[in-house]
Amino acid sequence: MSGDRIRGAFAGLAVGDAAGWPAGRHRSALHAPWSRRLYRELDAFAEEHRVTTLPVPFALNQPVAPLRIGPSDDAEWLAWTALTIDLRGDRPRAEAFRELTDVRARISVATALDNLAKGVEPPASGHDNPHHFDDAAAIRAVAYGAIGRDPTEDAQVTNALDGVLGARAMAAAVAEAVASGQVGRAVEAALAVLPPDTAIGHNARAALDAARAAGDPFAAVPALDAVLLDHVYSYAVGAAQTVPLALALAEAAGGELGRAVPAAACLAPVADSAPALTGALAGACGGFDAIPEGWIASVRTLAGCCLPDLAGRDLIEVADNLTSHLTEGIA
Amino acid sequence: MRDRARGCLLGLAAGDALGAPAENLTPVEIRRRWGRLTEIEGGGTDDTEYAIFAASMLVRRGHGLTSHDVERAYRTEIIPRATGPMRGAGFSELGTVEALRRGLEPPLTGLVHQHGWSDGLAMRAAPYGIFCPGDPAEAARLVEQDGLVSGSGEGIAGGRAVAGAVAAAMAGAEPRDVVQAALSVIPADSWTARNVVRVCEVLAAGGPRGRGEEAVEALHEAVVVRHYPWTDIAPEAVALALAAFLAGDGDVEESVTFGVSLGRDADTIGAIAGAVAGASQGEAGVPARWAARIGPVTGKCLPVVAGRHVLDTADELVEGL
Repeated sequence: MSGDRIRGAFAGLAVGDAAGWPAGRHRSALHAPWSRRLYRELDAFAEEHRVTTLPVPFALNQPVAPLRIGPSDDAEWLAWTALTIDLRGDRPRAEAFRELTDVRARISVATALDNLAKGVEPPASGHDNPHHFDDAAAIRAVAYGAIGRDPTEDAQVTNALDGVLGARAMAAAVAEAVASGQVGRAVEAALAVLPPDTAIGHNARAALDAARAAGDPFAAVPALDAVLLDHVYSYAVGAAQTVPLALALAEAAGGELGRAVPAAACLAPVADSAPALTGALAGACGGFDAIPEGWIASVRTLAGCCLPDLAGRDLIEVADNLTSHLTEGIA
Repeated sequence: MRDRARGCLLGLAAGDALGAPAENLTPVEIRRRWGRLTEIEGGGTDDTEYAIFAASMLVRRGHGLTSHDVERAYRTEIIPRATGPMRGAGFSELGTVEALRRGLEPPLTGLVHQHGWSDGLAMRAAPYGIFCPGDPAEAARLVEQDGLVSGSGEGIAGGRAVAGAVAAAMAGAEPRDVVQAALSVIPADSWTARNVVRVCEVLAAGGPRGRGEEAVEALHEAVVVRHYPWTDIAPEAVALALAAFLAGDGDVEESVTFGVSLGRDADTIGAIAGAVAGASQGEAGVPARWAARIGPVTGKCLPVVAGRHVLDTADELVEGL
């Protein structure tokens, strides 16, 4: 039933979010700033001394809980979206963003918040933005897709072009996965909103071809790296890369989260968000009950590493509340 | 026309060289180190070499230049010699080379990497303006053929704006009309156009003290992206360069030194301001002490142009008119 698959989308995103290596970096934001400064110094130490022992997020006089496997930025932004969606649709979406203070966010979102503060309204707030192409809106679109809503107005606050298309594609795929549980139909729904002459549309088709040829998500990892990642730019959260990876890996895994997410996490440059998007899609296909219990237990409680107000919130409750509000709204 | 062409590319090379040591510094740090940076310390960078490369394509193909000609030039003249590090190239050039190596064709080569809005096209757009004096629309159409290989969206708009501005300056337009020409060839609903309008408003509000520290601060506040570590954003660099040209009232030295004092992508801002002002004033408008520092390029960024001089490039462009 769809409630189980909506929960699956939320929990699946959190599993992927936690599985990628950057989760520990984000979660260490809960530590004292000097602790992260030492991390940066250890990184420089390895370089200076030519030692191959690289630092990992660590806890010197700091709590260790943030460094255990757990959800980070993407799960929090998904929860924030679910909590702030205006189901009646009579409130301009930018207003929810204007209420944000003291947050950590992607470059696209940070720039959009600056734009809003200067009076630059959507869609310019998302367009006049050096990271308009990133997948911040695609992550948020999981909430819209879960309840079959259009994510465009939300996406345009922080993104443009491929960034907005990525959000539409994720929402379309998740909506179809929630409705039917069929990954093939979810992928088709995403492709239907991705024009082939855009980077994201081209990459989605190329990624699907590569993964189909490999036949298995893990087997597809090197081919996906070759087809999608140029390794030129300093950041790797482009929707034109991460959304196609999510589509290709979820399909190659037959919608099984346990096969799709680990493969996404192997693509180190995109491990901040590609596993999360992959997990959302696979989680929606397979439903909440198909996700291993140990993972659910580890990822359902938000840390507040980006949105401090969400510390301690239960992501599954957030998903359930959204579903029940929707049902009440329809009734 | 030959005089304006020579002034344009000499101004570009001088602005590039003057701005190189100030690249990515804050205006405060620039003032601390130099006061006003007015003397060229070393050589130019990618701006000059890519402009010479763009001119060489124009000389060969003229108004018939297409993005496929440009793609072919990348494949035959840049990629075979880019075996090690591509010195001086920005993300957009490297991303384009990787896209070409993966077998993609324009416009996808400019779309698939994430620096479509790079100022890499704007920095080399001046030759297109030289080639179309008094015809900003044609200059913009031609530079877009170049831009479709390595950029998209705002990167192409930035290139169009600079080519259009130079085309107008080549025909002797007043500074204000030069900036209007830039705006006339890009969509009003673009980041670049909005930023150009913003800097014009800042300068108009600043009055006669429009070139001091307050103006620098106000221009930064108007168009500089705060939460982003790279500075090669065309909507920002093009707006700041046109602001410098306006603040200097078209004078080469005033425009370029003010542009460089803004920091950020200072060499590209200096190069664009110098190109537009140089086209406006002609060769004699470029300070002789700067001109004396401009020799043949070394090819450190683009080996294929090693040994070429911007003045010879300007002459060749004019012969093709």
